[in-house]
Amino acid sequence: MNLENQVLEIMREVFGIADITPEVSQKNCERWDSLRHLTMASELEDAFDIELEPEEIAEMTDFARVINMINSKLK
Amino acid sequence: MITFVYRNQTVEPLFGDQGIVYSGYDDISQVPQDVDSYIWCYQVPVNADSAQLAQEIASYRDKLDLVLSKADNNKPFIIFSLVNLYPLKLTGDDVAVDHAVMDFNRHASLLAEQHPHVKWVDFSEFTSRYDAWSLVNWKYYLMSQSLINPKLAHDFQDWWQQVERGLALKRKKCLVLDLDNTLWGGVLGEDGVDGIKLGGDYPGKAFSYWQRALVQLAHNGVILAVCSKNNETDVQEAWDCNPFMELKREHFSAWRINWTDKVTNIRDIAEELNIGLDSIVFIDDSPSERELVKQMLPQVTVPDFPEKPYQLMPFFKQLVERYFRIYAVTPEDRNKTQQYQANAMRKAQQARFADMDSYLRSLAMEIDIIPADDFNLPRIAQMTQKTNQFNLTTRRYTEAEVRQRLNDGWRVYCMSVRDRFGDSGVTGAIFLEPIDWDTVGIDSLLLSCRVLGKGIEEAFMGSILNLLHEEGVQKVVADYIPTAKNGQTADFYDRMGMECISIADDSSKHYAMSLDKVFELKDYYNIKVL
Repeated sequence: MNLENQVLEIMREVFGIADITPEVSQKNCERWDSLRHLTMASELEDAFDIELEPEEIAEMTDFARVINMINSKLK
Repeated sequence: MITFVYRNQTVEPLFGDQGIVYSGYDDISQVPQDVDSYIWCYQVPVNADSAQLAQEIASYRDKLDLVLSKADNNKPFIIFSLVNLYPLKLTGDDVAVDHAVMDFNRHASLLAEQHPHVKWVDFSEFTSRYDAWSLVNWKYYLMSQSLINPKLAHDFQDWWQQVERGLALKRKKCLVLDLDNTLWGGVLGEDGVDGIKLGGDYPGKAFSYWQRALVQLAHNGVILAVCSKNNETDVQEAWDCNPFMELKREHFSAWRINWTDKVTNIRDIAEELNIGLDSIVFIDDSPSERELVKQMLPQVTVPDFPEKPYQLMPFFKQLVERYFRIYAVTPEDRNKTQQYQANAMRKAQQARFADMDSYLRSLAMEIDIIPADDFNLPRIAQMTQKTNQFNLTTRRYTEAEVRQRLNDGWRVYCMSVRDRFGDSGVTGAIFLEPIDWDTVGIDSLLLSCRVLGKGIEEAFMGSILNLLHEEGVQKVVADYIPTAKNGQTADFYDRMGMECISIADDSSKHYAMSLDKVFELKDYYNIKVL
């Protein structure tokens, strides 16, 4: 599974939405609330074995930013 | 099902969002009545000023009291114990916060003793599994007010499910144990009564602890049985003569010590004890025996057995938590081993009498019929959950549901039986639903299998019919709903003289009878309606 799909899978699980797309963002997705945002961050930390700082978690407001953040951590 | 959660911190990752409504943080202004249960899950806040913190914790007690007084007392109210997740002491003798936490927990556990709908859950059972660093994730706490690490949410949900199962009284009934290398080290037939490893130093010590723990399980109402390939005379000798043997004959309600295969033996044990295979947990050190039982008797639960004797104590804890934990033990549970043994004695007595009536007369049975009250209600709910064989409709009720029905004008009676071999305790119940001004419906009628075979079921229902007749009730209606296990009650209402009015597609039967005469009860039952 590539990174994008893996992240989508985690979001699908955390937000409880079956048909999630790469267009998803905190703005257009009602279930992406502040609490699930943290749950997502914590799941991503576990899945990719990375450590996200609070400031970084706050920046991850849409799918593209999430992917960029993880990529920057994995380098 | 909706549960309302009182909290002073973020606990959403723990309880999730399915059927849960949360209060505001430390907000007790709302006490909704249209929910199905309440949870009080507070945590000790983070505050370096210990005097102030102790005062705040003291205030939780009053808040809890206030909420409890306004909550619907027909609904379960579950209180989590307080756990100090950040025990900060600036001086070693600063115990103000510790004392405040202890006070709250003592108060909450007393509430649970005083009020049947209140349950107290020891949260430290979960938190003590983790060290301080994995329990609290400060990054997430400071971002979201969630002191418990959200990464533990899955673990918490597993634990909470087990606790809820315990609160709902669903547990296994019987533990079937192998002997060699399971209850002691070594093989009795080879090492001899004094050669087996039991007592003294390791590994014998490990088996002693394990046996002592199992004795406690028996005292708390779990039925123990033995299934072992051995010579029975050797085992009897070991029970009598090995001074380190903690678990002896009197702790077992049944045993099969022979060379027959274990599948047949376990089936036999289930039949003798009158329990279902699905209420049995089987413990054996041999993987091949375990596999055989798993394959042939899929209803039986077969956990893996630890490889090393020093793993027996954590294994025991796991067994208790997975299969045998209930919230509270009733006196009937405590006496269960004795009762099952007394039953065996009654059976022996039965063989010596020419006819059934003279046997039953010799038992000197006393039956008390008692209206449901706060004391017997937990047992009544427990019986609706656990009774399968003599149960006409197999409707399962929680304590709260029974209480709700009483409020709706139903009448619920339970029955307790004594005879000269012992007291079987509360072992039967009947639920009467008002249908019409002159008609009563029997919603549920059940008896524990321990008291069957003595005509008690007829005496019980007959007494109830007479009670209704005296009150001027004209007509009684009832249903029989067949299940995989209650076949023996299929014609019970016919035997009681009721008329089968209709049979539905699922073979359930609807009965009616007019109460125009007194039901004849055998004179050897001494029946009291309290």
